[in-house]
Amino acid sequence: MAVVLPAVVEQLLSEMAAAVQESAQIPDEYLLSLKFLFGSSATQALDLVDRQSITLISSPSGRRVYQVLGSSGKTYTCLASCHYCSCPAFAFSVLRKSDSILCKHLLAVYLSQVMRTCQQLSVSDKQLTDILLMEKKQEP
Amino acid sequence: MAETLKRVLSRGGAAWSREENTPAAGPPLLLLGAPGSGKTTLLFAAALEAAGEGQGPVLFLTRRPFQSLPRGTGTALDPMRLQKIRFQYPPSTRELFWLLCSAHEAPGPAPSLLLLDGLEEYLAEDPEPQKAAYLTALLLDTAAHFSHRLGRDCGLMVALQTQEEADSGDILHLSLLRRYFPAQCWLQPDAPGPGEHGLRACLEPGGLGPRTEWWVTFRSDGEMMIAPWPTQTGDPSSGKGSSSAGQL
Repeated sequence: MAVVLPAVVEQLLSEMAAAVQESAQIPDEYLLSLKFLFGSSATQALDLVDRQSITLISSPSGRRVYQVLGSSGKTYTCLASCHYCSCPAFAFSVLRKSDSILCKHLLAVYLSQVMRTCQQLSVSDKQLTDILLMEKKQEP
Repeated sequence: MAETLKRVLSRGGAAWSREENTPAAGPPLLLLGAPGSGKTTLLFAAALEAAGEGQGPVLFLTRRPFQSLPRGTGTALDPMRLQKIRFQYPPSTRELFWLLCSAHEAPGPAPSLLLLDGLEEYLAEDPEPQKAAYLTALLLDTAAHFSHRLGRDCGLMVALQTQEEADSGDILHLSLLRRYFPAQCWLQPDAPGPGEHGLRACLEPGGLGPRTEWWVTFRSDGEMMIAPWPTQTGDPSSGKGSSSAGQL
């Protein structure tokens, strides 16, 4: 996997994954850690997860991509294999180089993986290409 | 990809090598250097190395077809290996995007190694950082998809030309790229002693091991000669100078 997260975040996510297996909810201590690490993005990300805003799109080829329905109603695309989100906040933090590790959409994607809760959508290989390409055209 | 490159560079210094018995590709690697520093040659050598390992075809992306094949790095140009390298020439950034986004649609076996030469040309077309980030991320995503299809890691190695005088755009791109490429290899003009010339190839495997360095020179016929950087210390010479235990 090409994902490179700081060790502390990786550890938190894997601990959470183990903890969530036992109960369906995230224990409070992890919520606190999330808030500590990510600030307000943590609450917003959890909100996105609660609202079932994350969709895992896959095609027969096995390639996958995530789409997240943002609070503004806009849909953003997040890659499954490495950190990329099409939202402006991600571009900003990428621009700034070290402002934040993840945007709330990416965090929501990782949380939904931990909690194993997200919508699933199957599309054709061709449709997946279009979804991935769409980002280049930067829809208005 | 860092491991494959390390094997290529280590093989150049036949009397001393690191034993890499597992043909693992290693993390995605960014190869940086000024024009003429040998990036294309090294990329091509890595392509031959991977092709020789018999794990699958190699996909080599570059903007323009080679006028002539880069000189090897001391090993003979094996036609069997050459056959395993698939060249594609996306003429524009748009074409490259299309190629990467539709990579899962391509029939045939998945490549075991994905190489891209001249990333700077594609980035120059559209300097907007978000697009640059997306192109880079797509390279990783494409390699990840190939890995999924192969059932083992597909390596990724990308060459980026740097200038002597980096401007702010370059620096921005560089920091962006380093987020996505844990391993880097720098080719810089340097020499181990006075009166000598050549390049110092400095491989940073991205936290998986110590930095290793080689001395790279070019013969008059263009062939690349590689030797371990003489001032290197602390590298345990494991056993005798047996030749590389890597796969052939």
